[in-house]
Amino acid sequence: MKTSYSRAVKAERLKLKRSPVWLAFFALPIISAFFGTVNYRMNIGILKSEWYSLWSQHSLFLCYFFMPALIGTYCSYLWRLEHTHHNWNSFLTAPVPLVSLYLGKLTQAVFMAILGNAWIFLLFYVCGKFAGIQSPFPSKALEWFLCGVVGTVVICCVQLLFSLIIRSFAIPIGIALLGGVLGLMMTNRDHGLDYPYSIYCMGMRANNPNLEVDVPTLMINSLGYIIIFAALAILYLRRREISAN
Amino acid sequence: MITLRTEFQKIKRRKIGLTMFALISVQFAWFLWATKSPDEKELAQGWINLLYMLPLLNVIMMPTFMSVLASRLSDLEHKGNTYKQLKTLRRPAILFDAKVVCGLLFVAAISIGQIAFLLVLGFCRHYLGNPDMHYYALALVFNFACCLSLYLLQLNLSLLFFNQMIPLVVGLCGSLLGLILMYIKMYSFLPWGGFLSRALVGMDWNIETRVVTYFYREYSVIEYCAIGMVFIWILVFYVTGRIAFTHKEV
Repeated sequence: MKTSYSRAVKAERLKLKRSPVWLAFFALPIISAFFGTVNYRMNIGILKSEWYSLWSQHSLFLCYFFMPALIGTYCSYLWRLEHTHHNWNSFLTAPVPLVSLYLGKLTQAVFMAILGNAWIFLLFYVCGKFAGIQSPFPSKALEWFLCGVVGTVVICCVQLLFSLIIRSFAIPIGIALLGGVLGLMMTNRDHGLDYPYSIYCMGMRANNPNLEVDVPTLMINSLGYIIIFAALAILYLRRREISAN
Repeated sequence: MITLRTEFQKIKRRKIGLTMFALISVQFAWFLWATKSPDEKELAQGWINLLYMLPLLNVIMMPTFMSVLASRLSDLEHKGNTYKQLKTLRRPAILFDAKVVCGLLFVAAISIGQIAFLLVLGFCRHYLGNPDMHYYALALVFNFACCLSLYLLQLNLSLLFFNQMIPLVVGLCGSLLGLILMYIKMYSFLPWGGFLSRALVGMDWNIETRVVTYFYREYSVIEYCAIGMVFIWILVFYVTGRIAFTHKEV
């Protein structure tokens, strides 16, 4: 199992070689960080909580609407390779268990999402220094990062399932964007931790760094969603005969 | 006409209309949620409030919706590798026009659907007075123009690149850019800033009384230019797209 898993991960990496998909994870946070910092500097008279104020400017739109859609784009790309030509035949007949094949894709998606989150925090730190914030970097940021990573794994699992079922490249991305919008509604109704797309924003404390999040509930709910969606995807791969188009 | 009919035949059973309806339904759900149980002040400002919310939601969602629509219409050609065959049967420019008209009809349906929904919603919520039909008609025209410019941009990118990730990411980046620019200034010359430039309603939030007052915006000269830019983008994207598609190596 371990060998087949590492082979699947290697195969996924090989498929993505020389593909500029990582550029999206690089570009989108830059836009958010740049304009967030500009807005922070312009409203420094009102935004007095330094790092916390800057974080709300950086994270608000990115975490609610665009990271889910970005992860959705990446997941769609991972399955698109299988949906084109006769690749399903090769994929399903590969001498590797289906669980490993799925985990290979999930690992790749999670790896990219973690890199994306690390990039968001690096930009946050650099922009804070450029904006002239003198106070020390908030130690809570590590907790936000870790909770955010767990949230991205949930979104990866959900989006991998959608992109597996829906052959179209674009529709799962639209679903991810709408998932983010609905996530905002759920967060406003205090159900943020119960809904897969808003766990990420809650974990990252998007727009509200002072928000007290029940971390054990976040972890349990996330684990539950990860198991459910991963199981559904593996079940779909096992049971459903996927035509090779 | 034959080419246009062929376009519709190609998308038969691909449920593009249903997909767009499903996507736009979430926007409607948002409106329903945001306007539920209004107080007296909200009832009085209901009609104008709807016009305020529309561009806000559109700037977040429409660039991605348009990229989904354009990608769905172009992806079948990429997947089927049909360009060579198509270009030997019809002039490439006509093929491009057919794709534009096909998408344009979807865009028109979405724009009309949005405004019709807002009007029905307003009457169902019993907002005071009648809607300013002049402003609602303007909202329809501007909304259609903004969506069309984005659709043309996304169609060009979707036809140009086999990898549909590129146009979708451009749509997402543009959406984020348009949204963030909204908080910095009230106009933008970028294609994704059209929704914000043509916003008919502004908002005044009194920090002491915490009362929100909506008002119809008076455009400055530069804001008129930014609105005009939407129509220039339509022309630019149409012409460049047509030329690029005609000269595309297949």
